[in-house]
Amino acid sequence: MFKLSSEGIDFVKKEIERYETRRSAIIPCLYRVQKENKGWVPPEAVAELSQLMDLPEAWINEILNFYTMFNKEPIGKLHVQVCCNISCCMNGGRELASHLNKEFGVQGNEISKDGNVTITRVECLGSCDTAPMMQVNDNYYENLTPEKAVSVIKELM
Amino acid sequence: MPKCTINGQEVEVKEGATIIEAFKKMSEDIAHYCWHPGLSVAGVCRLCMVDVEGARGPQIACNTVVREGMVITNQSEQIKDIVRWGMDFHLINHPLDCPICDQAGECGLQEQYMKFGKYDPEMGLQKVKKRKVVDLGERVVLDSERCILCSRCVRFTDEVSKTNELGIFNRGDRSEIGTYKDKPLNNKYSLNTVDICPVGALTSKDFRFRQRVWYLKNADTICNGCSTGCSVKTYYNEEGLFRVKPNHNEDVNGYWMCDEGRDLYKFANKESRLLKAKKFDGSTWEEVSAGSAVKSLSHQLLETIKETPSKVAVVYTGQFTNQEYADSLKSFDGLGVNNFYHWMNNQASKDEFDGLLIRGDKNPNTKGLQNEASKFSGLKKLENLFNELESGNIETVFVMAPENISAYPEYESHFKALSKAKNFIWMGANQTSCYESTNSSNTYLIPLKSYVEKSGTFTNHNGTDQNFNYVTTLVAGALTLSEAMTLFEGQDLDFEIRPKIYKTMKNNHFTSDRGEL
Amino acid sequence: MQVKVLSEHYDKPEFQGLEGYKKLGGYVELEKAFKMDPKQIIEDVKAAGLRGRGGAGFPTGVKWGFLPDNGEPRYLLCNADEGEPGTFKDRMMMERAPHQLIEGMIISSFAIGSKKSYIYVRGEYDESIRILTKALDEAYKAGMLGKNILGSGFDHDMDIYVGAGAYICGEETAMISSLEGYKGQPKLKPPFPAIEGYLGKPTIVNNVESLAAVKYIIRDGVEGYRKHGTEKSAGTKLFSVSGNVVKPGNYEIPLGMPMKTLINDLCGGMKPGRQLKAVIPGGSSTPILTAEEAMKVNMDYESMAEFGTFLGSGAVIVIDDSNCMVDLLGVLMHFYHHESCGQCTPCREGTGWLNKLVASIYKGEAKMTDLELINGISNHMMGKTICALSDAAAMPALSFLKKFREEFEFYIREGKSKVKGSSYAQMHH
Repeated sequence: MFKLSSEGIDFVKKEIERYETRRSAIIPCLYRVQKENKGWVPPEAVAELSQLMDLPEAWINEILNFYTMFNKEPIGKLHVQVCCNISCCMNGGRELASHLNKEFGVQGNEISKDGNVTITRVECLGSCDTAPMMQVNDNYYENLTPEKAVSVIKELM
Repeated sequence: MPKCTINGQEVEVKEGATIIEAFKKMSEDIAHYCWHPGLSVAGVCRLCMVDVEGARGPQIACNTVVREGMVITNQSEQIKDIVRWGMDFHLINHPLDCPICDQAGECGLQEQYMKFGKYDPEMGLQKVKKRKVVDLGERVVLDSERCILCSRCVRFTDEVSKTNELGIFNRGDRSEIGTYKDKPLNNKYSLNTVDICPVGALTSKDFRFRQRVWYLKNADTICNGCSTGCSVKTYYNEEGLFRVKPNHNEDVNGYWMCDEGRDLYKFANKESRLLKAKKFDGSTWEEVSAGSAVKSLSHQLLETIKETPSKVAVVYTGQFTNQEYADSLKSFDGLGVNNFYHWMNNQASKDEFDGLLIRGDKNPNTKGLQNEASKFSGLKKLENLFNELESGNIETVFVMAPENISAYPEYESHFKALSKAKNFIWMGANQTSCYESTNSSNTYLIPLKSYVEKSGTFTNHNGTDQNFNYVTTLVAGALTLSEAMTLFEGQDLDFEIRPKIYKTMKNNHFTSDRGEL
Repeated sequence: MQVKVLSEHYDKPEFQGLEGYKKLGGYVELEKAFKMDPKQIIEDVKAAGLRGRGGAGFPTGVKWGFLPDNGEPRYLLCNADEGEPGTFKDRMMMERAPHQLIEGMIISSFAIGSKKSYIYVRGEYDESIRILTKALDEAYKAGMLGKNILGSGFDHDMDIYVGAGAYICGEETAMISSLEGYKGQPKLKPPFPAIEGYLGKPTIVNNVESLAAVKYIIRDGVEGYRKHGTEKSAGTKLFSVSGNVVKPGNYEIPLGMPMKTLINDLCGGMKPGRQLKAVIPGGSSTPILTAEEAMKVNMDYESMAEFGTFLGSGAVIVIDDSNCMVDLLGVLMHFYHHESCGQCTPCREGTGWLNKLVASIYKGEAKMTDLELINGISNHMMGKTICALSDAAAMPALSFLKKFREEFEFYIREGKSKVKGSSYAQMHH
């Protein structure tokens, strides 16, 4: 079962002091859990945060389930997010995503067999002039071709 | 006090009142789901749209404050069109499973669709599938597909019970009401969420699948669960009582009541009642009608009591009406009896209060009893009676037993202790197995009426007298305390006198008559 | 051609750091502003005609003027939750010129008397967050933030708040909800944020570009700022051009420039062999323009209004003749369905309904009458909800259907795209 590290607990304690109200710290603390838990937030973390932050579980669970950047299920080591909104679509975003799905043998939000990659189609990432593009973990990779994207991902593995 | 015009009629409302409140004051129809007078304004169902003269466009009535001279209507074609479509938006993903839904017959979707709907369904596509039969806690079940996400229940747990168990998770049309897995909806007021749910999304485990609501009649009374004395509505038919819901009473319970109070109808139903009087002569039990039991009691003891009233003790609990106290105290006083004892069930916690409604004094009328008794010789502590019985100073004991026996854990032990009297008269509504173990070889068990079977007055914790009326008869042969005393005094009951009709607290149309939401 | 007021130094890497920024004229206007009467700054911003650059185009100074004059604590909130599809200008501004934003925010805070501000950045913008965090640190160390800034007696604290993936948080009251730790759901208005915003206190929410522009109103004065643009659309603005042009990117131009100039001259026109088909002028929510309209419209608020659309966030999505409009509307409807917060029934249900209906067209399951249904749904989503996301979903649906109806009818009739000659299934799988 997931437990925050002692640094993580310190982080939570600092964040609840950082803003005018404790409630504002929910997002940063969920990010912290995600970071410590290989990119996703396990449900039991809600109870732990609730206790640490002295906030009702439902409030934290609402936040966890509202925002798309919190992964509610395990995720590959590399989280590849391919933008499939309008400008990217017009420049081959969907084809890029399909190509990556085929190349790494994954569908939907599943993790590749080697545990390395999850490929998700996402909405606009604000990099429309460099379409098609993808975000791998925290970084943007722009002006892609299917081949270029594959080699970027393979290099990061 | 601004004045405005609602659908052509002028109305004056209090400062700061919203348009929807003005509509309610005028009893004008206005479609709405998320607005509830006891909760904050959410403004999300978007049905209470009105035209306000001079405004840029349609406004929601629930979040628009009435200003002097506003001219408001919801009768324009534009508004009717908006509401028709608004109903459709509510229904496109609704399962329309009314035939198996408990809410049918008192459902906001049904009612308002008939009034405001479009009638020609346009949704021909696959509906969003959501969780069904979700166990939210001890008392409440959720059907997410029926839910219209009005957020009333969430606001209730955030604002009223302040227990925060509920949330709306996910977003868009994937949004679902829910609890976090480790924290179910188990607060002491959880069933209010079922009352305020305008559709069949939240249903009561206790009530669901037991009755179609159109087979139920309803009547108002006062909850007898504690000294708060919430105004309630009871739902019943010839089979008995099925549920209790709160009535709006601004001075006492607002729009709410506790879960515990909703269970009390069970003690009034026939299954738990003493149906006939029972006499025990030391060897055999005899079942007779209540009337003849009291008459034979009268024959046997009336003269003895008159001769030696000091050997008689009367034990009262705070579960009877002021009228019953007054009548019985007067009768006993007339016979010369002045040993009145107060059986207080939970002395230690009687002054507790949870800040919302629930009080530690689990009797509806402790105040009333004290008031009435003070007009005679007052009340003594019950502990003293046990000593008196031991010493043989008391020979005859009358007990006016409580009907909410769940609040009296000492019910059986007290029965046994008090039955040490030579003549033991136990008057109560309930049947329990402990009666078998009476110590008295002259025991009378007299069946009394429950709170829904009589009219009267309870005086609540702060001294407010609350009148209530007869709801229904569940045990035909049972007596009120007053009736029992009349018979005991040797008089006949005057059946010509109908139960007195008291003026009761005003109704709450929002929770009681859900057609009006 | 381009007029680089804000973006003059964006191509210089040193502009990102405090030292380089100061060398290139940074924090000069802050000192200048401290010598001014805060009320005068508000008046200047009003007079300069700066309109909100995030999308709604509401006059910034007028918004500031709504603040109650009662000495209550108030907050400034910078809207850097850039999420409107097609928009990428704020990201560039934060990455190239974080101090420009910080300076604009301190001046604005001084003007409105705010002691605390937040920059709410969308969570995906990790690079922006890193750069802003570093810049804030530099600013604190240099005494630009904190107590008694530059000896002015003015105290101000600034912090970054990172969103977590929700388009709706770009709506100002949703952003306030999100910052307060609630779901990012818009709040009922009234009360407006200027009266009751963050934690119930008066709050001003302004876009990155609007706040940065304040610095240049101080620098150039009202007249100087108004030198560019038109009477009702003053100054310059950054436009994010994307889609099928040869040179997509951010372009700072004076408001009022013909769209034709922007697309054909600055962006190099359409790709070889391709014709302009349509333009979404101000982000995916704004009603689409046909090629013909696009060649007539000017890049300003009033000209866009004449053509029944909006300047929006300045995201110009240029669409060439290789695109199927049914497909593109499907992409947009998927987006709005994904992003509706779920509060208001017409939006929650309507976005899902529209998404399914448009998808049913390219699945070959739609009837011709469904086009009327799409119109009906859209019309009843407009202006019926707490915020404008519902309208944002309805406007593309209505305008696509109005202007490219024959493509939709063709798809329903023939079961395939008029443009691509194929069905959706073949197009994408």
